Amino acid sequence: MTSAQLEIQLIAALVAVACAIPGTFLVLRKMAMISDAISHAILPGIVLGFFITQDLNSPLLILLAAITGVVTVMLVEFIQKTGLVKEDTAIGLVFPALFSIGVILIAKNANDVHLDIDAVLLGELAFAPFDRLLVGGSDVGPKSLWVIGSILLITITLLLLFFKELKLSTFDKGLATTLGFSPLLIHYALMTVSSVTVVGAFDAVGAVLVVALIIAPAATAYLLTDDLKKMLVLSCFFGIFAAFAGYWLANILDASIAGSMTTVLGFVFLLVYLFAPKQGVFSVFFKERQQRKEVSLLVFLLHLQNHQESNERHVNHLREHINWQKVQAKTVLDLAKKNNLVQISENIVSLTDKGQEFTDEALRYITTNKETAIEELKDRYFLFRG
Amino acid sequence: MHTSSKIPAIQIDDLTVAYNYKPVLWDIDLVVPEGVLMAIVGPNGAGKSTLIKAILGIIKPIAGSVEVFGKPYKKQVDKVAYVPQKGSVDWDFPTVALDVVMMGTYGSLGWIKRPGQKEKKRALEALEKVGMLEFKSRQISQLSGGQQQRIFLARALVQNAEIYLMDEPFQGVDATTEKAIINILKELRKQGKTLIVVHHDLQTVPEYFDWVTFLNVKGIASGPVKDIFNDDNLTKTYGINYKVAVNQT
Repeated sequence: MTSAQLEIQLIAALVAVACAIPGTFLVLRKMAMISDAISHAILPGIVLGFFITQDLNSPLLILLAAITGVVTVMLVEFIQKTGLVKEDTAIGLVFPALFSIGVILIAKNANDVHLDIDAVLLGELAFAPFDRLLVGGSDVGPKSLWVIGSILLITITLLLLFFKELKLSTFDKGLATTLGFSPLLIHYALMTVSSVTVVGAFDAVGAVLVVALIIAPAATAYLLTDDLKKMLVLSCFFGIFAAFAGYWLANILDASIAGSMTTVLGFVFLLVYLFAPKQGVFSVFFKERQQRKEVSLLVFLLHLQNHQESNERHVNHLREHINWQKVQAKTVLDLAKKNNLVQISENIVSLTDKGQEFTDEALRYITTNKETAIEELKDRYFLFRG
Repeated sequence: MHTSSKIPAIQIDDLTVAYNYKPVLWDIDLVVPEGVLMAIVGPNGAGKSTLIKAILGIIKPIAGSVEVFGKPYKKQVDKVAYVPQKGSVDWDFPTVALDVVMMGTYGSLGWIKRPGQKEKKRALEALEKVGMLEFKSRQISQLSGGQQQRIFLARALVQNAEIYLMDEPFQGVDATTEKAIINILKELRKQGKTLIVVHHDLQTVPEYFDWVTFLNVKGIASGPVKDIFNDDNLTKTYGINYKVAVNQT
């Protein structure tokens, strides 16, 4: 691996982590689309900054562009507050307007400016190592590495300091207010960090793909954990993974690095979406099937308890009576037998003592705890494992 | 009840709140004496939740003032606990019951400082008080509606406040939970706390509360349940068909 290759991967990884952290909170605040608005709307800020500084990595440019980002959020909120349009409409009104101003500015000055629409939309990580930062004449590395590194450092510091406040105001704005915190201040701080991050990442991944880096890692992590801290760590992990895997994918395919990173992110999300242990599509499918089986078992047990007469408890009659297909009837009967809840003698099914006890308790539980699941009871009887 | 000559827990003067310039609370004057268990009743859209939010400074009034023990709310933050409506938060938020209760301690910590063992202990005690200790590690979306309401109550309890403002704490809970909650509220009153509860079930007002405020955009009446909870005030608040409202609940 050459040092340029290493530098590109390092920049990509830092960009991914810097995006994943605010992204986690944006996703939880249901503000994912705000990142889309910011990433497009900062374009005029970047162009103006570029006219002034002639350097995409200049702090002044980042500041100007970040201010444009925050102004975008305020504009969206202002339009929304009039009550005439909904939030998504407001977002859709604001950012194309600002973005097109940027596009026109670039087009009008295309000959003088080293800034083209392709780079703006998709970024170009491959060129990042060419723009070096020189301190006192010596080369200390690519400029974008230092820029995104500094942004990430600030983000992490703020996160560590204000994690509690961020969590509280994201979960319950009302409580945050009454406890004397200022959710508004936190909101705009988060918007500022998001804007600065987007500007810092812009050079590397462009306006369209930066949205994927903000949203996809957080959305993927959300499917895997119930813990905010773990969600943050997982988001960062997915971001870093996409950075490395994306780089090598691009290398193999001879394609855009940013495009490959996003593809990897999309693929990882798909995998998790399908196979996540608790909330994945397959797991939910099996869980629902299991629940259907459990409910059937309860219905079956209740039927046995309600009918002492033996003709109601004949194996064949049960099948017709409860109106089940052969397979389902057999599954349920097997399950009950395996758990020692019923016994069968001469094709007459009856409850065992354990079955009797369980049915009584289950019935009582269902009538008194309408809202809670029956998990605890199931655990106590070691049921439904078969 | 110690209501005599002391500074009232809450004093509201000429309070008007408007959404988009349409008043939802109109010139409210209200005095809540310390140590009462008070219900706020009124029809839908009467501004009951808005009144609570205005007291807490979540909504800015366009006129009037609110004082908590004689001072503006901002200076009395640590004396007031709030139980919002259950539906006001996203229960899919990635956290567990204990963590939500811990949030009640954030106010006393202030900015930046993290909760530690002391806060955790307080949260566990509060969970035990509401009978939810065994659910402390449960993801909050896996709790039933009644359990979620208890978690909110526990979160208010850890604040160890003087005044508790609750927005429909009985909404969507079963009879057992309702009894459990009201017992905790009555115990808090015994300790001299002041409780203000937005309440929908008119039939249980005399049984649960000792103080009541009738509200319908304007303040209709406020005082001891035994003196003012009568047909006259109910009619003024709900209109002539208030009996329908009573029977519905």
